[in-house]
Amino acid sequence: MTALLRSLALLALVLAPTAAFAEGSALARGAFEGDEPRVEAELVLDVDEAAPGQPFRAGVVFRMAEDWHIYWRHSGEAGLETELRLGGAEFSPLRWPFPETFDTAGGFIRTYGYSNEVLLFSEAVAPEGGEELRISATADVLVCKVDCIPALLELERTVPVGEKRPSSAAPLFDAYAPRVPEVAEDLRFSLLAQAEAERIEGRLRIEPAAWRVDGEGAFVPDRSPGFETLRGRPEGDILHIEGKASLEAADRPRVRGVARLVSAQGETRYVEVDAPLEEAPPAATVATSASLPWILLLAFGGGALLNLMPCVFPVLAVKVYGFTRMAQESRRGIALHALAYAVGVIGSLLLLALAVVAARAAGMSVGWGFQFQHPIFVALVSAVVVAFALNLFGVFYVGLGSQDLVARVDASRGLVRSAGEGVLAVVLATPCSAPLLGTAVGFAFAAPAWTIVLVFAVLGLGLAAPFCLLVLFPGSTARLPRPGVWMEHFKQGLGFALLGTAAWLVWVMGGLAGVDAMARLVAFLLVVAFACWAVGLAQRATGLGRWLGWVGATGALVLAVGAGLVPTATDDSAVPSRSLEAGAWSPEAVRQALHEGKPVFVDFTADWCLTCKFNERTVLASQRVRSAFREKGVEFLVADWTRRDETIRSELARYGKAGVPMYLLYAPQRPGEPEVLPELLTEPIVLDSLERLTSSSIAKEPNR
Amino acid sequence: MKKTLSLCTFALALAFSGLAAAATVGQPAPAFELKDEEGKEHSLSQYRGKFVVLEWVNPECPYVKRHYDAKTMQTTWEGSDKEKVVWLSIDSTAHNTPEKSREWKKAQGFSYPVLQDPEGKVGKLYGAKTTPHMYVIDPEGILRFAGGIDDDPRGNKETKKNYVQAALAELLAGKEVSVKTSQPYGCTVKYKE
Repeated sequence: MTALLRSLALLALVLAPTAAFAEGSALARGAFEGDEPRVEAELVLDVDEAAPGQPFRAGVVFRMAEDWHIYWRHSGEAGLETELRLGGAEFSPLRWPFPETFDTAGGFIRTYGYSNEVLLFSEAVAPEGGEELRISATADVLVCKVDCIPALLELERTVPVGEKRPSSAAPLFDAYAPRVPEVAEDLRFSLLAQAEAERIEGRLRIEPAAWRVDGEGAFVPDRSPGFETLRGRPEGDILHIEGKASLEAADRPRVRGVARLVSAQGETRYVEVDAPLEEAPPAATVATSASLPWILLLAFGGGALLNLMPCVFPVLAVKVYGFTRMAQESRRGIALHALAYAVGVIGSLLLLALAVVAARAAGMSVGWGFQFQHPIFVALVSAVVVAFALNLFGVFYVGLGSQDLVARVDASRGLVRSAGEGVLAVVLATPCSAPLLGTAVGFAFAAPAWTIVLVFAVLGLGLAAPFCLLVLFPGSTARLPRPGVWMEHFKQGLGFALLGTAAWLVWVMGGLAGVDAMARLVAFLLVVAFACWAVGLAQRATGLGRWLGWVGATGALVLAVGAGLVPTATDDSAVPSRSLEAGAWSPEAVRQALHEGKPVFVDFTADWCLTCKFNERTVLASQRVRSAFREKGVEFLVADWTRRDETIRSELARYGKAGVPMYLLYAPQRPGEPEVLPELLTEPIVLDSLERLTSSSIAKEPNR
Repeated sequence: MKKTLSLCTFALALAFSGLAAAATVGQPAPAFELKDEEGKEHSLSQYRGKFVVLEWVNPECPYVKRHYDAKTMQTTWEGSDKEKVVWLSIDSTAHNTPEKSREWKKAQGFSYPVLQDPEGKVGKLYGAKTTPHMYVIDPEGILRFAGGIDDDPRGNKETKKNYVQAALAELLAGKEVSVKTSQPYGCTVKYKE
């Protein structure tokens, strides 16, 4: 009852505009609860005297009682935005410092505003003439804690005209000014979203990607066209946007708001955000709306096709060797080996799938072939390749005791070797994308965890199938010459092919982490070779010699790792190799060129992607293609994904791809819908697509 | 059993709190059952065949007070066809009691019930954020309007547009609602934390 009386008394107070001070005062209190004001407002200027024709700032400082707050220019899901009108000069739009986020009812209602103190201000130029400058302010604010009390505050202040002199309030302006979000010309925002009937869900993309939203409360949405309500939810480097589509507006959704951004170097800035919805291109929609059985079929086919891609070069030797080994096996033995190989392939792909799921759970965005973006991985794989080569040379043995070479061929240990070949095939042959595979993997990367695992498993099945079928095909191994000395020579020859693979990996390291890391890797591989040799000696020796060999091998490896011979970090200053004359890709560069009316070809590539390099050298660098590009005035851009790059990854994802290669050809007439070229290029493919470019632009000509 | 079920509903409503929960214009309005200030049960389904207006209230909120002093809600309801339109006010304030609602109703002299939702279940089901926050449901149970009562949050406009009045007039005339949503304004609903 007393509460009711109190609120009735309150009502009388609050419903009348509450200006406790007489007109002409620069200070006013309002939103009384009993006789306690919940807000105090003071009109301040940054000058004591206004110089005619000179700029000055005027604003209102709001000081709120503890736990009370007022609202931002958009109050959010409840509350009421603060209204402040300044008079007496031509004022700029109001400057609003970056607001706080208030969650009530356990986050059910979210509002944006200011607690404690805030200065809202404007700039103006002091008018010419007159003896004094009279500035007035009217503030209509809603002050809330649990209850809300409206207040209308009228303020006035007069300063003499004279020389410009900073006032005692000037530092206050200087303190708040840096927190006013700027319109950043150097940044571009877009909303990557799926707009369904009533819900809009997506994420905010910031370009350049060096800037990201600085965690909780660092993004505050404003009223946004096409949205009824809208919230930002930061998660790692990503700002998720969730909203309800407006029923009223026919506008395309566009996220507006302010954000506190932080750079990789730790700099902070406050910016206005205006992000148009980026329509996901048809390719991605096809990929994401495709049914799972279809995707699994693509994964199987893509896996099988991967065996024919240039990417397979590094493991060709391993595969050929595996095949020739079958010459000495019985049919049953061959079947077991084929099975072991398949298990190796599928098992390592499942591990890769789990790594992808884990990386995603940790908030990282990864793509197909991401493992090659890590120097440690490249170093380990090259070590394995070198060891494998030395093994083929006969420096040491795997799976065979030294005394009983052929006599006691242990079938089970031979199977381990087959499985190992499967693992190596996956590790080396999978950094690049392939036809069919691109769609399947792109789908998987955007799908729930279990789908990733399933797609990867089927992919492994496809990858292993051709080899298994080949060795199991009746008579295929029978056509091989009978086992004999030739096998030993052939095996050693293949060892050199594997060393070639190691040379390639060393070059990949150069692009990833620089010349220094490359040299360290070579030294590390030398130690690995020494260790293999020591192990080989140990296998042949008895007693102390055996012991010494193993200690030597382990010791050498430990020393090498301890001495930092394994490169661990990427070096951004390392210059990636360029086989083509091209500009660096960025969404701005594409826009710029299209704006100038030039067609654009984008080559998404990476040093570790042999298919990419193969396409570049045999097709894109060919004389005919080069001159066709020149003739049509095509801007050639390269997006190099050798190292981790979020902008490139998200661009790949836009087209439903998870990895490189990817080739886009933009016509200036259709900047939003580039043609996506196949993963394996040929000259006719590229020349034909260039031809279509021109014919379509001629067709458009009369309309201009 | 029923208790477990309603607990589940509550948990679900909590889990989907925020944007997901809000009732959507053009979709079926979420079903509910609540007691009014006299203890009488009301369910949305019993009003099938009539237009239903839901009004979130809190007698302590200055915005609600302003509208009741101006008799905005009463005139909006009485100005429509009372035979075809049911008006239900709902109080989701955590500390509200039926007694407080009875006193307020008597003081204001209106006749529609004040449904008691101190747990905030129904408020969150509808995504009610402010007092007042208005919803209009058609005879088929489809939500046709959600938002603020008018376009005058500050209460200082000479002519204001009453969205609920307009929506009811259009619906009663068999037309589509032209303004289906508006920015709700007022105090935040004082939900149980």
